[in-house]
Amino acid sequence: MQEEIFISGRNIPKIDPNLEVWHFPISLYLFLGGMAAGIIFFAALFTILKREKQVQTAIKPAMIIVLFALSIGLLALFYDLTHKLYVWRLYTTIRIESPMSWGAWVLLFVTIGSFLWVFSYFSEIFPKWEIKIKALKNLERFLIKNRRNLAIILLPLSLILGIYTGILLSAFNARPLWNNAILGPLFLISGLSTGAACIILFSKDHYERKLFSQIDLALIFIELALIVHMIMGMYAGSAVQLEALDILIGGDYTVMFFVFVIILGLIFPAILEGIELLGYKVPVIIPAVLILIGGLVFRMVMVEAGQLTRYLY
Amino acid sequence: MEKTNQKNRHVYWNPYFGGFLLGLLIIFTFYITGRGLGASGAVKSGVVTVVNKVSPEHTENNAYYKKFIDGENSPMNNWLVFEALGVIMGAFLSGAVTGRIKLKTQHSPKITAKRRLVFALIGGLLFGFGAQIARGCTSGAALSGISVLATAGFISMMAIFGTGYLVAYFFRKNWI
Repeated sequence: MQEEIFISGRNIPKIDPNLEVWHFPISLYLFLGGMAAGIIFFAALFTILKREKQVQTAIKPAMIIVLFALSIGLLALFYDLTHKLYVWRLYTTIRIESPMSWGAWVLLFVTIGSFLWVFSYFSEIFPKWEIKIKALKNLERFLIKNRRNLAIILLPLSLILGIYTGILLSAFNARPLWNNAILGPLFLISGLSTGAACIILFSKDHYERKLFSQIDLALIFIELALIVHMIMGMYAGSAVQLEALDILIGGDYTVMFFVFVIILGLIFPAILEGIELLGYKVPVIIPAVLILIGGLVFRMVMVEAGQLTRYLY
Repeated sequence: MEKTNQKNRHVYWNPYFGGFLLGLLIIFTFYITGRGLGASGAVKSGVVTVVNKVSPEHTENNAYYKKFIDGENSPMNNWLVFEALGVIMGAFLSGAVTGRIKLKTQHSPKITAKRRLVFALIGGLLFGFGAQIARGCTSGAALSGISVLATAGFISMMAIFGTGYLVAYFFRKNWI
């Protein structure tokens, strides 16, 4: 007797066959979280390497952007919650096997760390504002002295934050498009690339812009390679993966993915940054903005297309 | 005078060489997409999309817009739209390589930038309107048409450039 006919359990609106629970706020959060992770990574890295002087934008204005990015991202997450009042429950438990738990805790520490970081530069960023309260002044002095230690803590945390934005999706084993091991590194690299683009956008220093253009160019090549890996990995997969892949290479999201992510968000800015490094004059704002838009569209495509993919029955 | 000449210096390719490349491009386009080039079509798609978003009933009842609305399929999902995106990208790249990327209005020293822009806008509006009546512009009707030896292509080309030569006399003061 074929019992499986009885046990279908397939009538779950909004979850099966298609997930319809994550919308734009999630994509926005994944994008902002990844970008913030990228900026924090570079700020911490160059501080540890004792080269802060050469990357003034990365360690000051860009870190202020991080505060906004994290705040807006967290608000977007909060907005998306169905039971908003229970948000504190995420912090009553640590579950090492749950990406969501990792994310909640890492996000908490990264946010606190970033606020402390910006506070340590408060007097440099706002020279006219004198801190009057003694305790705060002492705190600032303490933070300035321990900035390198803060960087050493933030560096691994930023990497975890960047990877987690991808793992959060890839941990869904019921969604074939998400459920691949490349997604974590891919989102991390994409986050680092958008972070570098954001630094380029705000930098006025010629050396710093060139440095981050070079870093960004390398990251774009790695990202393209990872995307090729993802597609090839799925292409070699089972019918479930092939059907999931079809959304990206021959379905509803093909145009978004290839035109706005691959061409306008990666290849074209890479060419522009490349010819700029060769000495031609290109307004940096164009490749930087294209990379940022490409990063956001990439998250939107992955979040929305992933929810459409499913196991076959 | 010397200085203005320097500023308005032409750094473009030889137009005949450009035309030759354009011809090769059309062959390539037919090979890849199975149809010709176009330029005004992308703008039309943009307009139809906006009108359809603002007032779907209007596009539904309008004989002109109705032709381009196809149920679920967005009018923006059209090869000409992507071609236009590529044209912008290519133009930007060529500008970057030849060091011409800056915001400026190229015009005759005898007229103001504002006059140039106003006339360009009027010309563009007339041309866009005409292209829709004629079912194609210089690229879509004339260029693509002639390359497949369509009579309509030759007629369009002669009409567009013939009228241009005739009318240019009245507006020559804007350039020379």
